[in-house]
Amino acid sequence: MSWITVIWSMVAAACLTLAAMHLLVWFKKRTAWANLLFSVTAAAAAAVAFCELSMMRAETPEQFGTMLRWFHVPVWAIIVALVVFVRLHLRAGRSWLAWTICTLRTFSLLLNFVVGQDLNYREVTGLRHIPFFGESVVVAEGASNPFMLVGQLSLLLFVIFVADAAITVWRRGDRRQALMTGGSIVFFVLAGTVQAVLVLWQIVPGPITVSLFFTAVVAAMAYEMSGDPRRAAQLSADLRESEARLALAADSADVGLWSWDFKTGQIWATERARLLYGFSSAEEIAFEKFLSRIHPDDRDRVSRAAREAFQNGAGFRSEYRIELPDGSSRWIKAQGQAFLKPSREPDRMMGVSLNINERKENEDEVVELRLELAHLARIMTMNEVSTSLAHEINQPLGAILNNASAAKLLMSQVKDRQEEINEILEDVIQDAKRAGDVVRKIRGVVKKSDVRFEPLDMNSLIGEAADLFRNSMSMSNVSLRLDLEMNLAKVTGDRVHLQQVLVNLITNALEAMKGRSPSVLTIHSAMTASDRVTVSVSDTGKGIDDAAKERVFEPFFTTKQDGLGMGLRICRSIIAEHGGRIWAENNPIAGATFSFSLGAWRGESA
Amino acid sequence: MSADKGVIYIVEDDPSFRKSMERLLRASGFKVVAFESANSFLTQRGIERPACLLLDVQLPDIDGFDLQQRLMERGSSLPIIFMTGHGNIPMSVRAMKKGAVDFLPKPFEAEDLRGAILKALERDIQNRKREIEVNKIKSLLDTLTPREKEVLRWVITGKLNKQIAAALGTTEKTIKVHRSRVMQKTKVSSVAELVRLAEKADISPAV
Repeated sequence: MSWITVIWSMVAAACLTLAAMHLLVWFKKRTAWANLLFSVTAAAAAAVAFCELSMMRAETPEQFGTMLRWFHVPVWAIIVALVVFVRLHLRAGRSWLAWTICTLRTFSLLLNFVVGQDLNYREVTGLRHIPFFGESVVVAEGASNPFMLVGQLSLLLFVIFVADAAITVWRRGDRRQALMTGGSIVFFVLAGTVQAVLVLWQIVPGPITVSLFFTAVVAAMAYEMSGDPRRAAQLSADLRESEARLALAADSADVGLWSWDFKTGQIWATERARLLYGFSSAEEIAFEKFLSRIHPDDRDRVSRAAREAFQNGAGFRSEYRIELPDGSSRWIKAQGQAFLKPSREPDRMMGVSLNINERKENEDEVVELRLELAHLARIMTMNEVSTSLAHEINQPLGAILNNASAAKLLMSQVKDRQEEINEILEDVIQDAKRAGDVVRKIRGVVKKSDVRFEPLDMNSLIGEAADLFRNSMSMSNVSLRLDLEMNLAKVTGDRVHLQQVLVNLITNALEAMKGRSPSVLTIHSAMTASDRVTVSVSDTGKGIDDAAKERVFEPFFTTKQDGLGMGLRICRSIIAEHGGRIWAENNPIAGATFSFSLGAWRGESA
Repeated sequence: MSADKGVIYIVEDDPSFRKSMERLLRASGFKVVAFESANSFLTQRGIERPACLLLDVQLPDIDGFDLQQRLMERGSSLPIIFMTGHGNIPMSVRAMKKGAVDFLPKPFEAEDLRGAILKALERDIQNRKREIEVNKIKSLLDTLTPREKEVLRWVITGKLNKQIAAALGTTEKTIKVHRSRVMQKTKVSSVAELVRLAEKADISPAV
C-alpha cells in the first residue's frame, strides 16, 4: 500500500472519529453548537481528504473533474462551519464579513456546478502522472476557470475575518485561544489557499492537498474543544469536593439534605436525612412513602405547601410531626426550593430538614409556663384580696361578736342597764354597716379594671386563642377543629376579656379530655337569630354531672383537684358585661359544649 | 387571790373593737385598762397584779411582737394573749414560742376569750408567787457579806470544807464558820435546801 493512501486514509479516519465523537456530544446536549460545528468541520475535512485521494488516483479526466466538483461541497461546509464556529465559540469576528464570506462561498459553490467543468477548470483535458512522495499521482491538465477567483476571494476574506476575530480574542485576554484557534485557522487556511492557488492556476505542478491543512485546523480546534472535557473533569472534581464540604457542614449542623424528583416521585436523601425520617440507607423513598411518615394531622398541610411551591417555583417551608416506624414521633422543620422546567412544569425540589423536637418541647414548656403564671397571678391576686378582705371584715365582725356577747352577759345579769345595752346595740349596727361597706369597697376595686369596647372579629379572636394551645394540643394528641362561619358579623367587646373567656373555655375543655381518646376540641362560630354571634367550645371529655350543671357558673364551684372555681364565674361576668349569655350543655355522644352569644355589631351609625 | 379579780390590759388600735372588748370584759367581771397604741401602754406605770395583756398584732406604732420583745427585755412576766385580724400559723407559732398564752384570730367567741384570759391570769398568779419567793430569797441573800456569798457558791458545788479552803486559800476552820453563818442567815437547815434556794435566786455554783 502506498504512503499517500495510508496518510490520506488516516487523516480521513482521524477526522471522522473526531466528528463522530463531537456529534455524540451534541446529541447529548443540543445546545452545544460548537461541538456540532466542529463535527461538521471534521467530517467535511474527511470528505475533502477522500476527494483528494480519489483525484490523485483518477483514471479518466471525467473522473477527476467529477471528484473536483464534489470536492467543493465539503470545502464549502468547512468554510461556513468555521465562520459560524468563530462567531459562536470565539464570540468574535465581524458580522458583515461573516455574511460576505458565506455568500461568496455559496456563490462559488453554485458556480462550481454551473460554470465549466468545475470551479477550477473550464475543462479538464487530460491527466498527467507526476511523482509525488516517491509515488506517481494524477494531476489535471486543462484551462483554469477564471471564476475560481470568487472562491479564492472568499478564502482571503475568511483569513482576514479569522485574523480579525483572533485579534479581538487576544485583546479580550484569551491569548491562548487567540493563538491556538484563531492563529492556527489563519495559518493553515492561508497555507492551504496558497497551495491550492499555486496548483490550480497551474503555476506549480502537484496534487491538491488542502485536506492536510484542514486536518491541522481540525486538530487545533480539537485541542480547543478538548478544553471543555478537561474543564468538566476539573469541575466534577471540584463538585465532589464541594459536595463533601456541604455534607460535612450539613452533618455537623444535624441537617439532612434531600432532593425530590417530581417526575419519578423519587426522593434522594443524605444519610442524616434518612435517619431523621427513619429510612434505611438503601431504601428507595417515593414521595408517597415520605408522606405516610407524616402525622395524619399535618399531612394535608405539608402536601399542600409542596404543591403550592411547585405551582410557583417558590420556596417551601414547613414544620410538621413525623411518626417513626418504632411508634415514636418527632418534629421536623423542612425548608426547600422548587425548580421548574422551562415549560413551567414541576422539575424537582431540593432542601434541608432538621429535628426541632427540642425547640418544640421548649415552646410547649413556655406556653405551659405562661398559662401557669397567669393562673398563679390570678390566685395570688385572689389571695391578696381575700387576705385584706379578711382583715378588714374580721375587725367589725369581731366587734359585733364582742358586743353581742357583752349584751347577752349584761341581759342575764341585771335589768337596769338598758342604756348600756342600747349603746351596745347601736355599736352592733354600726359595725355590721362597716363590714358591709368593706365588701362594697372591695367590689369597687375589682370592677375598676380597664375595659375597652371595640368592634371585633370573633373568628380571629378564636384563631388567636387556639394558637396559644396549638403546641400543647399536638403534644397531648388533641385534634383541633375550627368550624367557623365565614360571614360572621363583628361584635363589640373588649379583646382581652373575650380572649380570657375563650382561653378559660378551651382550658376547661382540654382538662376535661386529659387522658381520654379520641380527644377532639371543636370551636364553632355561627350567626344565630340573624343578629347574634354564637361561639361554642366542645370537647369529647366526660361531660357535666346533672347535679353540677346548675352550679358550674357559681363562684368557687369546681370539679378540679386544684381548681379555684372562678374560671367559668369570670366567663359569665365578662359575657354579662358584654350583654351576652353563656350556657353549658352535654353533647349527645360525649363531652360538653360551652357556648356564649353576643349581639352583632351594627356598624358606626348604630 | 381569784383570777376573776385580775386586771386586763388591752392594746388595740381599732376603736370600735377596743370598745367592744372593754364592754365584754367588764360585763364578765374583769377590770379593764385599754390603750390605743403600744407606746401609750409602755408609758403606763405600775401594773396591777394579777393581770394579762390582750395585744393586737397589727398596731400603728410598734407591732405586737415587738412590744412582746420589749416587755421581755424589761423583765416583765406579764402574760400576753395575741389577737389578729389575719393571723396565720407561722405567726402564731412565733408568738407562742416567745411565751404568749394564746393566739386568738378575730372574730373570736367570748368563751374562748374567757378561757384564754383565765389561763393567762392563772399563769400570772404563779409568776407572782414565784417573784415574791425570789424576792424574799434575794433579801435574805442580801444580808450575806461578799465573802459569805463566795463561800455559798462553793458550798452548793457539794465540795468538802477542806477542798473549799484549799480553793479559797484559807483554813478549813474559817470555811466552817462561814458556812454555818450562811445557813443561819438564809434560814436553811441542809445543803440541799441551800442548793434549791440558790437555784431560785439564780446563783450559780463556783465551779
